Amino acid sequence: MSPNYITDEVKQLIGRETDWVEACDPVEQGAIRRFHQAVMDDDPIFWKVAEAAATRYGGIVAPPLFPLHAFRRPSGAPDPLNRVSGDPDFDGVTRDFGLGLPPVPIPLPRLLNGGNQVEVYQLARPGDRIRAKSKYVDIYQKEGKSGVLVFILVETVYANQKGETLLKALQTHILR
Amino acid sequence: MTRQQVYFDDVEVGQAVPEVRKGPMTVAHIMRWSASMENWHRIHYDRAYAVEHDKLPDVVVNGSWKQHVLMQLVKEWVGLGGWAWKVGFQYRDMDLPGDLITAWGKVTKTYEKGGLGYVELEIGLRNSRGIESTRGTAVVILPRRGGAKVPYPFPVD
Repeated sequence: MSPNYITDEVKQLIGRETDWVEACDPVEQGAIRRFHQAVMDDDPIFWKVAEAAATRYGGIVAPPLFPLHAFRRPSGAPDPLNRVSGDPDFDGVTRDFGLGLPPVPIPLPRLLNGGNQVEVYQLARPGDRIRAKSKYVDIYQKEGKSGVLVFILVETVYANQKGETLLKALQTHILR
Repeated sequence: MTRQQVYFDDVEVGQAVPEVRKGPMTVAHIMRWSASMENWHRIHYDRAYAVEHDKLPDVVVNGSWKQHVLMQLVKEWVGLGGWAWKVGFQYRDMDLPGDLITAWGKVTKTYEKGGLGYVELEIGLRNSRGIESTRGTAVVILPRRGGAKVPYPFPVD
């Protein structure tokens, strides 16, 4: 019998929602450049000012899924890398799925990205203040080929400073 | 811009969309993405950790990177007059350093709603070892010849 990781404490997290959280930095052109270069997409709407201005966007925009990664560690927040040298099991990422959601107390050591479903409504622009609101939609376990897999489904809505929806995402995290 | 626009009128079920290819991927490509998004998950740059601790064959290409390649596939196809609305994907296998990654898509359904042309697609990533590492679906909106512009921002349900 596999252990049951979906304890009452875990079940209570399902449906838990955060307030709006704002990214620590506004959308910066340099961040857009590093991003489009790293995904190897040189679409002119990300960097050619005059060409982008002539499109429906009216100027440079960020890649469609940029908001998913807009939330960085704010200055002054604890440095998770301090744990790397002292904790051989630490994988470099904290287990606070979503933004401001409480950690899921499940002692499985490995984390995988299971997939995502996104809906795009508008592209972020330089200067935008991206905000997000996240919710644990479901947490459940399944028997996999090599043991138990725990699926954590987090729904996040991303908006700009005017409250206009940029993106909705349903992310699947897998613990094993 | 002078990109050629694809119109709903010209799309048929079964039609393939132009592929997008990336790679061969190296640890440097993976590290560049991890750094650009400040993701310090060790399975993407610390081979000893990936292999010995997480029992992976090597460092692995980030799922978060792969989703942008699929998004790019769809975005490029719909052009500046269409809208890549919904994209969903499941990661089924790993992509590793050395892999050449091909994003592909195929039209599965077309329909009209509110004067706009909707197209559903099956999409995926295939690597040079013949593995389908990622599968998914997309829903996009294309303009009709002589029809209304696809609205931007796209209206929220």
